[in-house]
Amino acid sequence: MSDVVLNNIGKTYPNGYHAIPSIDLTIEEGEFIVLVGPSGCGKSTLLRMVAGLETISQGDLMIKGAKVNDKEPADRDIAMVFQNYALYPHMTVYANMAYGLKNRGESKEVIAEKVTSVANMLGLEELLERKPKQLSGGQRQRVAMGRAMVRDPKVFLFDEPLSNLDAKLRVQMRVEIRQLQRKLGTTTLYVTHDQVEAMTLADRLVVLNKGKAEQIGTPMDLYNKPATPFVAAFIGSPSMNLIGANLDEQGIRLSQDLHLPLVHQHRGSVVWGIRPEHLDVVDEQNADFALRIQAVESLGAETLIHGTVDLGVKQEPIVVRLSGPHWPEINSLLWLKAPMEHWHVFDAVTQQRL
Amino acid sequence: MSVYFPHKKLPYLLVLPQLVITLIFFLWPAEQAFEQAFYQEDAFGLSREFVGFDNFVYLFNDPQYYKSIWVTLVFSFSVAFSGLAIALWLAVMADRVIRGKLTYQTLLVWPYAVAPALAGVLWWLLFDPSMGPVALWLQYFGVDWNHFLNGDQAMTLVVISATWKQISYNFLFFLAGLQAVPRSLIEAASIDGASPFKRFWTIVFPLLSPTTFFLLVINLVYAFFDTFGVIDATTQGGPGVSTATMVYKVFNDGFIGLDMGSSAAQSVVLMFLVGVMTVIQFRYIERKVEY
Amino acid sequence: MIENRPWLTFISHFSLLLGIGVVALPVWVALVASTHPSSAFGAGEIPLWFGDQALENWRSVFLGEASSGVDVPVWYMMLNSFIMALGITVGKLFISLLSAYAIVFFRFPFRGACFWVIFITLMLPVEVRIVPTYEVVANLDMLNSYSGLILPLIASATATFLFRQCFMTMPGELIEAARIDGAGPIRFFFDILLPMSRTNIAALFVIMFIYGWNQYLWPVIITTDDAYYTLVMSIKRMLAVDQGDIEWNHVMVTTLLAMIPPVAVVIGMQKLFVKGLVDAEK
Ligand SMILES: Nc1ncnc2c1ncn2[C@@H]1O[C@H](COP(=O)(O)OP(=O)(O)OP(=O)(O)O)[C@@H](O)[C@H]1O
Ligand SMILES: [Mg+2]
Repeated sequence: MSDVVLNNIGKTYPNGYHAIPSIDLTIEEGEFIVLVGPSGCGKSTLLRMVAGLETISQGDLMIKGAKVNDKEPADRDIAMVFQNYALYPHMTVYANMAYGLKNRGESKEVIAEKVTSVANMLGLEELLERKPKQLSGGQRQRVAMGRAMVRDPKVFLFDEPLSNLDAKLRVQMRVEIRQLQRKLGTTTLYVTHDQVEAMTLADRLVVLNKGKAEQIGTPMDLYNKPATPFVAAFIGSPSMNLIGANLDEQGIRLSQDLHLPLVHQHRGSVVWGIRPEHLDVVDEQNADFALRIQAVESLGAETLIHGTVDLGVKQEPIVVRLSGPHWPEINSLLWLKAPMEHWHVFDAVTQQRL
Repeated sequence: MSVYFPHKKLPYLLVLPQLVITLIFFLWPAEQAFEQAFYQEDAFGLSREFVGFDNFVYLFNDPQYYKSIWVTLVFSFSVAFSGLAIALWLAVMADRVIRGKLTYQTLLVWPYAVAPALAGVLWWLLFDPSMGPVALWLQYFGVDWNHFLNGDQAMTLVVISATWKQISYNFLFFLAGLQAVPRSLIEAASIDGASPFKRFWTIVFPLLSPTTFFLLVINLVYAFFDTFGVIDATTQGGPGVSTATMVYKVFNDGFIGLDMGSSAAQSVVLMFLVGVMTVIQFRYIERKVEY
Repeated sequence: MIENRPWLTFISHFSLLLGIGVVALPVWVALVASTHPSSAFGAGEIPLWFGDQALENWRSVFLGEASSGVDVPVWYMMLNSFIMALGITVGKLFISLLSAYAIVFFRFPFRGACFWVIFITLMLPVEVRIVPTYEVVANLDMLNSYSGLILPLIASATATFLFRQCFMTMPGELIEAARIDGAGPIRFFFDILLPMSRTNIAALFVIMFIYGWNQYLWPVIITTDDAYYTLVMSIKRMLAVDQGDIEWNHVMVTTLLAMIPPVAVVIGMQKLFVKGLVDAEK
């Protein structure tokens, strides 16, 4: 049975702002769904509607087959981990974790048992009597997760839970969250704007843009077959090279005298894209075009080369990613080939993949 | 904050107690004062007649009223300036000392807790013309001290009593303000070779100016309204009317003189004044807090 | 400060000691005066050192008639003062906590209007509207009663403002977390809001207790029955006799006794009090 169903869900804020026009999403039991998108695209809004913290303006929200639109957050059987953790500052770690159970009227013994077992799972045994102020950032994060876990909910909701941690801890917690989720098998909805986090955690990703779901699919789907230029640019780092072009009988026309052969019945303006890692360095006669090098970033294992391609009327910026160290000269030319199997072509008007 | 509970009726229940108290004991009397200001009532409260703006016209033609305004201004500004100056001096000194700061603070803040009326009585005893040690000492030096007969001396006495009580309040705020001055600024100035005296006037005092302005307003409000007890317990506005402030006159004309119309008109004038002061105060608060 | 300047340090300590001395002077004289017989004050000069009547004076004022003009003992008026001060304090805290809670955590029609009605009380100290307030209280038949002493002084925009500011700094996520944990508005208020604001509440308690205890004009006006006299206002009655008949020794004992509770509160809870006072105006 599908676990959480969003059926034509929409949100209009009281001030009239139309944050989410309409979203359909079916989440299977135990699935890890990540919502990604740029700031302000409506990720938190959507998550908070599922949590019951924001009213649902349109559509139905079903959890385990029951419509929960009008239920209080506490009655939806969900648990949420907040960006700033939202731990009660005057309560100990134990009391923080126990509070929800206490409000549900669980007995002292049951509470003690549940809290202790979750604390063991998360390595919080030593910290139970501390106040949040006396914890490090990572420990607080863990307590916030513990508080969500003791409730044993049907759905976990996370709103950018790792964004207040330093880079190293973030990687570590990311792995831990994924392991815990696998172990517990709890359906999870996770919001982030970090695409690495999104790619590594998700069973399926939802890419949101201005309140609309641009694409829903597995991380590899989204990487290999982005549905729109927006998704193409959003997933992957560095971002895909996207160039406005024209599709005619001879193929993709990037400029007056540069075209890449392609047979396709579509005509008109398109967006042509290729990922930095898919461009090959070749010699002049095999090349599709030349890159005027402007900057080189050597990261040891790989090298990012930034430059421009001369398209007559404009200079188009392009990034190339090569493995290993390279030291090309600034301002020199780099001859590149764009293998056709790695092309992404989108209709410039409808923004759909061709 | 943008998160609210979705309940619709509960909030009304929550504000109800305060609203009821406010309506009964604040707005109703205020409304009555407004109404009464336009009536003339006989001394026994048996009959009254509508007189329009007569009470106000009379009030603003009454030299006694101007006298009370003058008394209020002299009293308030004397209290505010002496209170601020002494407190600032003490706070700067207390900020300088390293050891015993808290002890000094303790020994200086307690007058805050003394009722104004009691402050008046304490200083009266010191200045009692026939037996007060300070009065006798002044008389020994040829000052003919008798605040029961001499209006200026009576004013001096109430100013001293009122200031005495207010110093602790000002002191605490100045001390907090001084402690908030970043050490690095003072260090930078002393590396630039500024003497302690120069540092104070060029760096510390300008940084304290918001505190000073705020305290000035608060002190004026205090002197206007909260010092009733000082005056009533010591001079009762006398000799003559030389210490009868505007607030004292409202009370005196209303309860002693039984001139309700005039007293009410004076209340209305005062409310207007308080309104202005509150707006100033509010502006000040508003700059620091978003509403 | 930065450099060590012995003469400046000396001036600092000297100024502070001088300040403390001058501030304490009237209390010293009052203490001395409270140890002499009444006859000592007719002699033309207050004795400058303690007399031998301390015990008699303090005992008779505390337990017997306080002074000519006041027929009840000081302990009785002290009780009245406590009732009034506590009533005002608790009442103010109660209504302002509730109304600040409503204004910050709920959105409801006329919220702005409620806010302004409460705010207006800032503009109307009781001294300004004393006559009509007296009439209202007389109409409600509350002269010479505890409710008459307490209720008109309870409304406090200041406390409401302070709590409002304190509540507004509370992160929204905390409320959401509480809602997910199944806490409705009432539970949230008691389990989370009150414990988190306890220092603010305690600080305001101190300030309002002093405010309540030190009320003078209002009790003077509405109490004509000795049974409701408060300590501070009784001074007026004690002084309302002929100049020569004032029993200074008794007056000073009463004054000192009237000062002791609030001064003790300020000194005992200095840290809280200072924080409350300075934060209240920030
Ligand atoms: N209470 C509100 N009233 C009106 N508009 C709002 C409200 N809350 C959010 N919005 C708007 O809705 C849009 C989506 O907000 P949301 O918080 O969901 O973004 P987000 O994707 O979570 O962004 P971020 O990554 O920055 O957290 C934003 O444009 C925001 O300005
Ligand atoms: Mg967000």
